[in-house]
Amino acid sequence: MSSGDTLLPRRTAKQPDLPPPVRLPPSLAGDPSLPYPAIGTELHELRLQIPGVQGSVLGGVDGLLITHDVPDTLDPDDLAAMAAATFGLGRQVSLRLGQGEFRQSTVRNQAGYFSVYAVGSHALLSVVGADAINVARLHLHAPPVAERLAKLLEPA
Amino acid sequence: MANLDTALKDAMTIDGAIGAALVDYTSGMTLGVAGGTPEIDLTVAAAGNTDVVRAKMRTIEMLKLNDEIEDMLITLGGQYHIIRPLNGPNGKGLFLYLMLSKARSNLALARHQLRTIEEQLEL
Repeated sequence: MSSGDTLLPRRTAKQPDLPPPVRLPPSLAGDPSLPYPAIGTELHELRLQIPGVQGSVLGGVDGLLITHDVPDTLDPDDLAAMAAATFGLGRQVSLRLGQGEFRQSTVRNQAGYFSVYAVGSHALLSVVGADAINVARLHLHAPPVAERLAKLLEPA
Repeated sequence: MANLDTALKDAMTIDGAIGAALVDYTSGMTLGVAGGTPEIDLTVAAAGNTDVVRAKMRTIEMLKLNDEIEDMLITLGGQYHIIRPLNGPNGKGLFLYLMLSKARSNLALARHQLRTIEEQLEL
């Protein structure tokens, strides 16, 4: 019998106690009723206030772009999609550990940071930062910005 | 030799100490804090003072002084803030931050004690 015939026992993932699927409201992307100038000001201010912030993107948890403040070198649609992917991982981790709502996730690479903050329960603020960014300051500054953005996204 | 917790506890025994923290100035995050008050959040102080340390280090570099910071003193109306970058092999990128009440402290003694704490700190 060759080794290729050996059957290994299949292992099935343990099913977590999942909550019933949430019914999401329509995507926030492309909603003309949102206060875009006010949102834009918040994103712009974030870049001005914290040295090392290269740009920020506001996207839905569905991965679609709402609006952004990033230079041409970055693709805002990509960033919004990656933020949603990060959020998905964070949510799974939280479900398994029973730690409640997703709040924040930071990826640190050799030459920079990518941070995702929850904006209410349906949107995400992602920030791209240089390696030299004061990330503690970003973590102090971004949550209040996310809170204000959540208020701006609430249906009037 | 003292570990982080002992070092911070020692820093808090300095006369007039209000709060102490060990901060990573590459990220602005704290490795440990001691003291503080409900009004004074040491993590905010750490993040803010990271920019101070970085600015001074950049200035020294721009002036081509080829030197390093031993300590920094910031005098407020009612407080002294002392910043002391770590010089040991394991302390690269870290600084000690000490807040003192101006009325209750002896600055020279506090500075000396903080140097001793820094020299004995082992991470």
